[in-house]
Amino acid sequence: MNARDIFLEQVTALLPALRAFGRSLCGDPARADDLVQDTVLKAWTNREQFQSGSNLKAWLFTILRNCYYSELRHRKFEIEDPDGVCAAQVAISPDHDAKLHLRDLSRALQHLPPDQREALILVCATGLSYEEAADVCQVAVGTIKSRIARARDRLVELLGEDAAQVTGAIPVPTMTDSEQISTQRSGVS
Amino acid sequence: MIMNEKTKPGESVAATAPATPAEQVPDWLGNRLRRMFTDVMEEPVPDDFKALLQQLEDKERGA
Repeated sequence: MNARDIFLEQVTALLPALRAFGRSLCGDPARADDLVQDTVLKAWTNREQFQSGSNLKAWLFTILRNCYYSELRHRKFEIEDPDGVCAAQVAISPDHDAKLHLRDLSRALQHLPPDQREALILVCATGLSYEEAADVCQVAVGTIKSRIARARDRLVELLGEDAAQVTGAIPVPTMTDSEQISTQRSGVS
Repeated sequence: MIMNEKTKPGESVAATAPATPAEQVPDWLGNRLRRMFTDVMEEPVPDDFKALLQQLEDKERGA
């Protein structure tokens, strides 16, 4: 088996993670899969640039998010309001907007600016480290952290104070370190 | 091929525990984010992708 067969094999193994990352970025499953197809093609075309042994997942995620942003630029607007909720509330105060209390996490994510959304997803859902996420987004680690903090605050606002009870989470963290680590690992592809 | 990018060979898990994301994001939110992500990961990969990869493989073999 030559190097290119292995490359395709590794890309195939990462397809589920790519689809999940794409969907969390753009919200729409069909658009997400289009993004992943573009990503696979670009990865294949540029496979010589990938150094085997380095982080293929991060490299593919970088290609995907670049495809996502260039598509946004082409469209010249961002679909942050897929249900027209914000548009319908044009004259409503920001305080009212804050009380949307969306139950659906993926819809709530679409209310974030894309840079906050991707930072939060990369670190907290895909299991990348801060440094890896910073590389993918081509910003400093500090920038990633502040984007995550802002994303967190906005999501807590959007999902409502009772979100913790809705999901059955216990207000006081009781997970031991090892339980937390294994939970984190299970989120990594 | 599953790799934990946070640990390096020889390092103990506790020393490289990813504590900081948990500090920034409450448990309930982190759990929901991970569950949302793994839900998609558990979906079967659509045939379109298999077809695309097969095409690339065939092109490669034919080259």
